[in-house]
Amino acid sequence: MEALGINLPFLLVQIVNLLIVYTVVAKWIVGPVGKMLETRRETIAQGMEDSRVAAEARANAEEEAAKIKAEAQAEASKIVSEATERAQSAGADVKAAAEAEAATAKEKALAGIDAERTQMLGDLRGQVAALAIAGAQKLVGESLDEKRQHALLNDFFAGVKDGSVVVLDGADLKGDSAEVTSALPLTDAEQKTVKNDVLAKSGAEAVSFLVDPAILGGLVIKVGDKVVDGSVAGKLEGLRQNMR
Amino acid sequence: MDVAAATILGKLIGAGLAMIGAIGAGAGIGIVTSGAVQAMGRNPDAAGNIQTNMILGIAFAEAVAIYCLVVALLILFVIG
Amino acid sequence: MSETKSKNRTWARWVVLAAILLGVFLFTGVGLGIKPIMPEVFLPGERLSETPLFGIPGLYLTNTLIGMLGADLVVFAIAFFVYRGVKSGSVALKGVSGAVEALLEALENMTEGTAGKWTKDIFPWFATITLLVLSANWLGLLPGVETIGLLHEGHGEHSVRTVAGIQTIWDDSAEMAADAHVEDTHAEEDTHGEEMATDDHGEEHHGAAIIPFFRPVSTDLNFTFALAIVAVVMVQVIGFKALGWGYLTKFFNVKHFFSKPIFGFIDFGVGLLELVSELSKVLSFAFRLFGNLFAGAVLLFVMGSLVPFFVPAMFYMLELFVGMIQAIVFGMLTMTFMAQATQSHGDHDEAHA
Repeated sequence: MEALGINLPFLLVQIVNLLIVYTVVAKWIVGPVGKMLETRRETIAQGMEDSRVAAEARANAEEEAAKIKAEAQAEASKIVSEATERAQSAGADVKAAAEAEAATAKEKALAGIDAERTQMLGDLRGQVAALAIAGAQKLVGESLDEKRQHALLNDFFAGVKDGSVVVLDGADLKGDSAEVTSALPLTDAEQKTVKNDVLAKSGAEAVSFLVDPAILGGLVIKVGDKVVDGSVAGKLEGLRQNMR
Repeated sequence: MDVAAATILGKLIGAGLAMIGAIGAGAGIGIVTSGAVQAMGRNPDAAGNIQTNMILGIAFAEAVAIYCLVVALLILFVIG
Repeated sequence: MSETKSKNRTWARWVVLAAILLGVFLFTGVGLGIKPIMPEVFLPGERLSETPLFGIPGLYLTNTLIGMLGADLVVFAIAFFVYRGVKSGSVALKGVSGAVEALLEALENMTEGTAGKWTKDIFPWFATITLLVLSANWLGLLPGVETIGLLHEGHGEHSVRTVAGIQTIWDDSAEMAADAHVEDTHAEEDTHGEEMATDDHGEEHHGAAIIPFFRPVSTDLNFTFALAIVAVVMVQVIGFKALGWGYLTKFFNVKHFFSKPIFGFIDFGVGLLELVSELSKVLSFAFRLFGNLFAGAVLLFVMGSLVPFFVPAMFYMLELFVGMIQAIVFGMLTMTFMAQATQSHGDHDEAHA
């Protein structure tokens, strides 16, 4: 022991010294440092917590932003699709309108064409009628001899007498002068008959007798500005009008 | 050869022989460190814990060498 | 900032280079040709005076006692600065106390990982032992420690010279002088003689050694045994605190003594072995620290005497490392044993070196 340098007093001194050092270290190093470490750990934990909260908030904000963006995108795409749809339907409308217009125009054109055709047909018919009447007039003019002329006149007068032919209404046929046109010159008797029977109610004083072979047969009586057509030509004219 | 010279000779030889025991400690420290490094390589997360235990193991292994050294020192400097 | 830093580094580089060149100049034949001397190695702390301190028989003023006071001073200074730093209310300490705080934080994390809820009881011991041993170990690496001291005749084999007014031992093997003058030896010393200017020869005589004023207290078995005894005693104290009287069943295991005759007896024997192992822990602790540090000191002596320049720097670095490792290991083993003592027995199959 002595050779190793171990002696009891020195050992005791060392132990006492160690206990003193322990007291000092425990009281003035470990205690304060431990407390400081605790505080620092808490501070750090607090900071971590804060940063975690901040990060969470940021994540939330990002999420919200993403949501808003997605919504905006969805809306935009909706608008685009709507616009497309509307454009399509508008196009369809326009097309339909154009088609309808075209159809109307076509119809109108068809109607016009129809009318034109009808008119042309009418014209044609008129022409045919005119030609036929002209032919008929010619035939009638050739076939009406004097005898027949007078027969016609007699028929006319007879009709007037028994009232079957109402040539003139009393009220209407009023005038100072009367003009009577015939195809052949009337006989005196006939002139008399005209004056007495036909023109009696009209009160016409001066009666002039005209001869116009163009009327073919019968009489055309003109009182004032009124005309009573009892001629063959007038009848043919009426026939022609009817044929059209 | 006088007695003093023989004593010195014996002390030197004895101290040298005493230190042979350090071989085991050296091998032991090598094995401990090898295992610890392998463990750290496999599991780097546990490096701190492994290091602590490694140092403990090294300390225990080294203690053997220290005993040898103490014996050698005693032979050299203490024993008359 | 970086500029000044790099400037400092350049400066440090020049200092290192100058130190190497100075070493080459001093210790080789090119320059002064000083031969480095292997100092005399004493296992116990050397007495600086032959009269016991305070009249207590056996207690002398040894150089390790001065080393102990130095280590104490360092720890007290750390305590002062740390306490002042914490009192100033800052969250993080600066300078040396900041380094201490970082060390303590690492140690506390270690303790918490091992000891759990007993950290409050165990950690102060861990911190105390680590800080004290660390400062004791590193103090031994200061220049001048174990080299400046009293001349003591009758121990060594080197002659004494007075160089530039300073008496020193001198390796005279080349110019061995026959006659030796006995001189009064109590004078300041400088073995490596770094301030030596001239070569004037003084008186020479045989048989002198240097007793340094300062020697790291970890190289004294008293210190290491004191630490080991206190540590092991505190392990038992904490064990009792944690488990009450049930802690004793760890050593006197009578639980299965009657129920299982054979295994119960074996358990009892194992418990007694535990008791022995507690005692062996003291020896283990004490000799581990002492052996490492003493061997380190001797290593530095030998290396310094073999290759006087540049190479010892490497070993100083190694000793810096070893000093820290041993301090932490001592504290950590104490902590581990304490943590084991707090757990009820059955799972304490730790190796006991």
